[in-house]
Parts: sequence; C-alpha cells; structure tokens
Amino acid sequence: MNRKNLIAPGILILLLVASIAWGYEQLNVKQNYEVALDNHYQMLFHDVKTHVENVQVGLSKALVATTKDKNIMLFSQIMNDANSAQDKLGQMPVSHNDIASTEKFLTQAADYSYYLIQRHLNGEDITPEQRKQLTDLQKDASAFNGELSILHENMANPDYVYGVAYINEMKKGEKANLEENAFHTSLIDFESNVSKGPELLYDGPFADQMLKGKPKGLSGENVSVDKAANIALDFFGKGKVEDIESFEQGEGTDELRIPTNTFHAYMDNGKKDLASYIAVSKKGGKVIWMTNPRPLGKKKLSNDEAQKAALKFLEEKGFKNMEPNYSLNYDGYTLFNMASKEGNVTIYPDLVKIKVALDTGEIIGMDASLYYLAHHKREIPAPKISIDDARKVLKNKFKLSSERLTIIPKGKEEILAYEFKGKYGDGEFIIYINAQDGKEEQILQIIKSENGTLTF
Amino acid sequence: MKKKVFKILVLTLVVLNMFYFSYPQKTVETANRFNIFAPRSLYWGSSGQDVKTVQDKLLRWKYYDGSVDGIYGARTYRAVRRFQQKNGLNADGVVGPSTAQAMGINTTSSSSAGSTQGVNRNADEYLLARTIHGEARGEPYIGKVAVAAVVLNRVKSPSFPNTPAGVVYQPLAFTAVADGQINLTPNKDAINAARDALNGWDPTNGCLYYWNPATATSKWIWSRKVTLKIGKHWFGI
Repeated sequence: MNRKNLIAPGILILLLVASIAWGYEQLNVKQNYEVALDNHYQMLFHDVKTHVENVQVGLSKALVATTKDKNIMLFSQIMNDANSAQDKLGQMPVSHNDIASTEKFLTQAADYSYYLIQRHLNGEDITPEQRKQLTDLQKDASAFNGELSILHENMANPDYVYGVAYINEMKKGEKANLEENAFHTSLIDFESNVSKGPELLYDGPFADQMLKGKPKGLSGENVSVDKAANIALDFFGKGKVEDIESFEQGEGTDELRIPTNTFHAYMDNGKKDLASYIAVSKKGGKVIWMTNPRPLGKKKLSNDEAQKAALKFLEEKGFKNMEPNYSLNYDGYTLFNMASKEGNVTIYPDLVKIKVALDTGEIIGMDASLYYLAHHKREIPAPKISIDDARKVLKNKFKLSSERLTIIPKGKEEILAYEFKGKYGDGEFIIYINAQDGKEEQILQIIKSENGTLTF
Repeated sequence: MKKKVFKILVLTLVVLNMFYFSYPQKTVETANRFNIFAPRSLYWGSSGQDVKTVQDKLLRWKYYDGSVDGIYGARTYRAVRRFQQKNGLNADGVVGPSTAQAMGINTTSSSSAGSTQGVNRNADEYLLARTIHGEARGEPYIGKVAVAAVVLNRVKSPSFPNTPAGVVYQPLAFTAVADGQINLTPNKDAINAARDALNGWDPTNGCLYYWNPATATSKWIWSRKVTLKIGKHWFGI
C-alpha cells in the first residue's frame, strides 16, 4: 500500500470525527436548552402552588375576620395571589382545555376580591350570600391545593411526563401514552369539579353575568336572512352593491351576545376581491358593524370635513344627537368616536365608531356594537350635588380646561358624573366625580400621540 | 475508475459537510428576528416626526418622490424597499435598527415626553399584526380582523391570560407561535386588521376559538359551539 491510497480514507475519517463532534455538541446544546426550559416550568409550578396556598389561607382568614379594615387587607392579598397564580398557570405547558375552568376560577377569585374591597370601601358589609360564596371559594381553593400537592409528589417520579417532554409528546400526537402519568391528567380532576360549581354572582369585568349580558338597544322581531340582506343593501345605498352573500353559520350563533347575519357585499365596481363586510342583528335587524377595506387614495379632506361627513352619515342612519369625542388619524382615514347626547348630558356608553376615508369622504367603517349593548331609554336624574361642590374634590393645582355632565359605565351600572378635563404637572387628565355622592369615580390619563388622542 | 468514484464520493461528503457546518448563518437570522423588539420600528401605517425624517432622507437620495407628510404609505414603503435592496439589507419595507443605522438616523427617541413617555398601543398593535400574519396570511380581510378579535376576546375572558402577549404566547395555543411564523414581518393588511380589532371591530361577536377543519388535530375543538365560517376558519365559543 502506498501513501497516496491513505489520503482519501484519512479525509473521510477526519470528516466523520468532525461530524460526530459537531453532533455531540448539538446534543449538548439541545439538552441545555431543555433543562433551562424545564427549570422555568418547575419554577412556575412551585409559584402556582405557593400562590394558591396563600389564596386558600387568605380566604379562611377573611371568613374569620370581623372588621372591614382587616378584610380589605386580606382581600387585596387574595387578589394579588390569585392573579399571580392565574398568570403563571397560563404560561405552563398544558393545553387550554385542561385548565380553562381552573384559570377562570383564579381570575374570578381575584375579580371577586376586588369587588368586595370596593363594597367595603363604600361601607357595605358582606351579605350572607357573599359569605356562602366565599366559603365555596375557600373549599375550591383547598381542593385545588390538594391536587397540586399530589402533583408535587408525582413530579419526583422520573417517569412522570411534564414540561418539555409533554410538549414533545403532544407534537407527536401520542396523547394515548400520556393519559396515565402526565401532569395534565392530574389537573383534569379539579378542572371538572370546579366547572360544575355554581356561577359566582357579583359585578366585575370578569363576572359571567357581565360577559353574557344581553343587548339593551335591540328589540322587536327576529329578521330572516333575506330581510337582513335587504337591510344591508339599503345601508350601502341603492345600486351600490352588485352581489351580496351570507357567511356560513353554525348552530351556536344564537348564543353569542349579539346574534347577527353577516354578509360579504361585492360593490358594483367589478372587483370581486374587494368585498365590504356587514353584520345585521337578528333581533330588530340593525346594522351592528360594517367595514370596507378598500385601498385609500391621496388625502383630500380636512379633519373638519371628515367629521361633518361622519355626523351626516350618523344622522342618515338614524343615530340621533351624536357628538364627536376623540379621533385618531391613520394612513388615509380618520376614526371618530361618537357618543350620544341627551340635553346637556354626554352619554358615553352609547358609543359609535366611524371610519371616514380622507380621499372621498366615504364612510369605510362603522362599529355600533357598544351602542346597541348599552342604549336604552334613560331617566336621567337631577344631580344631588352641584358642580361647584364636585370641583372641590379636585387637587389644588389641577388646571381645569373644561367641565360637563356625563353618564359613564360602571360595571353593569351607569352613573351620572361630572367630567373635569385639565392638566396636573405635565400630564393631562379627565376626572369623573359622581354627581350624586361626590365620589371620585374614575381618572383617565390623556395620551397625545402623532395619530391623535388616546385615553388610558 | 474506482479511484474516480472514490474521489467523487469524498467530494460530495465535503460539500455535504459544508452545508452541515453552515449553521452559523441561522444565528444571524435569529439575531435579525429580534428587530421586532426594537424600541421603535417604522412600518406601513406609522406616522410622525420619525417618518418625516426617513422621507426627507429618501427624497434627498432620490429613492422617494412623494411629499414629506410624516405618514408611512405605499410610496414610502416602496422607497424604503428600494433603499434596502441597494444597500444589501433585508428588503422588508420596515425601518428597523439596521435600516435606520444605514440611513444614519436614530428612531429610538420618541417624540412624546414627560409622564406619558412610551405609553401607546404600538406594541400591542404590532404583536397582533404578527399574529394575524402568522395565523391567517391567506385569509380574506375580515378573517384577519376576526383572528385578532379572538385574541382580544380571550384577553377579556376569565378562562384565558389577561394580556394580549399572555394569550398569544400561551403554550400550545397558536401553531404560528410554536413554529416561529409569528416572527415574520407582517404586511399592510395584517397591520390594518390589527388596528380595526383594537379599535373594537369584532366580526365574530365574541368568539374565543377558531380552527381550520382541514388541519385541526384536536378532537376537543369540535366540542365547541360553532358560530360562523370566515374563509377557511370556523369560529366558535
């Protein structure tokens, strides 16, 4: 054998060694990542357990406590822990259907605590029903905590499928192997128990009653699909639409907050791919929203002209006494927020949003869903305190620029409040003072951006 | 003859190995991805002083022929892409840190100051636009708004995380997040749809789920109440 014959195999062997070395390195890197990720999941799990323990203990204490001050302290701690537990549970590698009710339980426990804090601050006591609900919550928290303890013990078992391993198995679709020894199976017991429990009755943003409330502004007979299509055609104007086509519907449609018939409307311009979309409520046959995503040309209208176009449009569509509030400028269009007005009172819950194209002044979007959820015949009471008395609540150095009487939403209710707009330091604010009892109801900060004004 | 075969074999292996070892290129790509977390990227629909600066520069360099109006529209987009192509940058029409650097401008300084500095909805808007682009690229416009509306309905629901990012990045929730498609640069339609959804338009009237019957693997999803079909997606509660 001469030397020449050794070169090729030599190179091959070198390459092989290099490949193996590289592969090993990759394996190491992968394992490091997996360990890091698993450690993070472990931390989340332990945190959830700690937070749920705190919720459980906090609720037990709240049932014993007798003074409002102590309860407020306890409920704020419960709210904090329940929120953290919910936040961290949502980051764990478990599919949503295994933890939906558990997350809801934690969100509502926090929301309910906040509601009770507000009640206490208003000087109201816990009612017997609320005491019963608290006892139920405490029992649920303790059951959940028990499940988490069992899980914690299981996690010491090396065969237990959790974290990265669980995600990998899910990807392979081998769910069958997971039923016995996996993190998610253990959660399901609590999940199914807590979902059987009664609804928590209270007033807060995450309460079931709040999410399911029926629209107050829709009444009358249900309209058929054909009738709805005609209403949609009338809305766009005679002869504007070439063809209208309903979206396919499922049987769950009627369980939505505002059941609608929804349509593609092909405009009479020969462009099939540029449809407008419109939804007509089944009950009463009102147009709930419309959008026309056409390309926009060069800006020709001023903001004032655009606003006039929006107001004229609302008048034509039967929205009476609407008043522009704030607006946002985008590339080619302006979005106006219009609230209704009764006498000198601005009614914020009756909100309609209008998009005006700045090239032709055409209305390219409308959203009246909030309007129809809130609008009803209101008996506006006379304010019990004068605007001068309400103004005294404001901070000394608050530089007032405008004031008026408004109705603002508060949970399920609406309240009559004085609105004070002005500056404090270098920030601009809107402050709402209850016109019946002088309470500071809400503070909004005004954020001026290049696009317009936002409130937070 | 035998020798020739052997030589070819070795050569192929060497070439193959070169591909194998070319993985560092991927790291460059990943680094680029983090552009999306830059303090302020300018894209289609952006507006303000920063956009004016960009337009002014591009006008002087003859990439741009529109007016310096501070609104990032079609002309600005095309001009930025031409600039990026000429300068060997990723021609995505987004003025991120590398493009801004190549133009010699600083977009990190926000024009708003004082106690409201940095408070805006741009981050949520861009996150939603990326979600739409990853999840519903081929869908009709209304299907895009609907996907973003589902994300926002989940934020309001007690059974889901309570922030847009919490919902979007919830493990096992969106396939476009799991496979990284969410990091693609969204187009103008996606950004407009995200904006409509944030401004309140909800074509689903409150749905929390959507799925594509052709690709959905979860049986559980069929236990949802079906409400509406938009494009390829069924929506449900």
